[in-house]
Amino acid sequence: MKLRGREGHGREPHTLAGAYAMDAISAPDRARFERHLAGCEECAQEIAGLREATARLATATAVPPPSGLKERVLAAAALTRQQPPPVSQADAETETPRMRAIVSWFRALALPRQMAVAAAALAVVAVLAVAVLFGVANGSMRDQLSADQASSQQISAVLTARDATMMTGAVTGGGTVTIVMSHSMRTLVFTAAGLHALPASRGYELWLIGPAGDRPVTMLPAGPHHMTGPVIASGLRAGDHLALTAEPAGGTARPTAPMMLDVLL
Amino acid sequence: MRSAGPAPEPAGAEPGGPGDLGAQIRLVARGDAGAFDAVYDLLAASVFGIVVRVIRDPAQSEEVTQDVLLEVWRTASKFDAERGSATAWVMTLAHRRAVDRVRSVQKESERERRTAAADIPYDEVAEAVESSLERERVRRCLGSLTELQRESVTLAYYGGYTYGQVASLLGVPTGTIKTRMRDALIRLRDCLGVAG
Repeated sequence: MKLRGREGHGREPHTLAGAYAMDAISAPDRARFERHLAGCEECAQEIAGLREATARLATATAVPPPSGLKERVLAAAALTRQQPPPVSQADAETETPRMRAIVSWFRALALPRQMAVAAAALAVVAVLAVAVLFGVANGSMRDQLSADQASSQQISAVLTARDATMMTGAVTGGGTVTIVMSHSMRTLVFTAAGLHALPASRGYELWLIGPAGDRPVTMLPAGPHHMTGPVIASGLRAGDHLALTAEPAGGTARPTAPMMLDVLL
Repeated sequence: MRSAGPAPEPAGAEPGGPGDLGAQIRLVARGDAGAFDAVYDLLAASVFGIVVRVIRDPAQSEEVTQDVLLEVWRTASKFDAERGSATAWVMTLAHRRAVDRVRSVQKESERERRTAAADIPYDEVAEAVESSLERERVRRCLGSLTELQRESVTLAYYGGYTYGQVASLLGVPTGTIKTRMRDALIRLRDCLGVAG
C-alpha cells in the first residue's frame, strides 16, 4: 500500500490528504493541513490529483439548475468587481479558501469583528476592491462601516432577488451605468463607470422621475478609477425613470441641468 | 501526478474539445461576459448537482450555487491550469461552499436530514440522474472500492460529514477512516484515469 511508504516523512498531517480533498475535515484541521501543504509540494500535487477524482464524483451528480438562476448570476457578475491575478504563488494559496462572492462579502460586513479579522487576513488587493466598491478612502473606512452595513445588506438583497433584472445605459458626455432592479422590492442598485470628472463645485445627482413626482435619490460619491457606487434607490413607482444630471455639489431638490441619462424602469 | 498535464474534462462538459473550459475561464479572468455565459452553461448543472446533493434544501442550494458561480467570476484570475483542471477547481469551490453551509447550519432538522443522507446507497449516484458513460464510469469505480472505502467516500463527499463523524457513524477508529479515505481517492483517481 502506497500509504505506508509515505507516512514515514509525511507523518500525521499527510494522512489527512483524503479527508482534506473531500472537505471532510474540521476548520482547525483544515487550517493545520493547509499550513502543511504550503511547505510540501509533493502533498500539493497529491491533493491536486485527488481533487480530479472528487470532481468526477461531483459532475456525476449534475442536475439542471433552477430556471432564472442564469439571469441572476450574470446580472450579479456584471456588478461584481473581479480580483486581479495573484502576484505570487503564496497569495493564491492562502487567499482562495477565504474568498467570498461579493454577496457573501456584504453579508460578512454585517459583523464588524468578522470583518476586522477577514480584512486583516486578506491580501491588500481584496481590501482595496471592497474600498473601491464602497467608494471610501482607507482612512475613513472604519467610520463609514456602520452606515455601509445597512446599505450593503440592501444591495445584497437586490442582487439576489428572484426578479432581479439588469439594464445598462450610456451617459451623455461619457460613461456607462449598470442598474440591477427588483420590481418586487421596488429597489434598484446603480453603479457607473467612466463618468466625466466634474469640477469640485459640481457633482452628479441621481433622480427618480415619474408620475409620482421627481425625487432626488442621492449625489453620487466620487470613487477611484472613475467607478461610482453602488448606490441604492428605493421606493420605485410605476412609470418611473432613472435620470442623472450634473448639479451644484450640495445637490438640489429638483433637476436644474440637462438630463445626461434617462432610463425607463 | 501533474506530469501528464491538466486532466481531461469530463465528457459532455466541453463542446470545444479538451482544454476548452480552461480557456473560457482565462477569458473570464479578463472580464469576458460572453465567456462567463459559456462557463455557466458548461458547469451550472454540475455545481447545482453537487451542492443540492450535499445541502438537500433546494432554496439554499440555489443560493449557494449562485455564490459559487459568482466566485468563479470574481476569482477566475486565480485559476492555475498547472495545478489541475478547471472542472476540479470549480467543483472544489462548490463542494467546500456546500459543506461550509451545512456545517454552519447545525440544527436539529439538519441533523435529521443528514441521517437520511447516510442511508443512501452508492448507486444512487447513477440512479438519481439519467445514465451516461461518465456517470456509469464513476459508479463502476465506486463499486471497485472496498465497502469501508466506499462508505467513507459516500458519507464524506456526498453526506458532508467530517472524517471524525464518519468514523463514529461506522464505528471505526478515526485513524483507520483517514487512511481509508486517502486510499479510496487514490484508487478512484487511478480508476477514473484522471491526473496520472
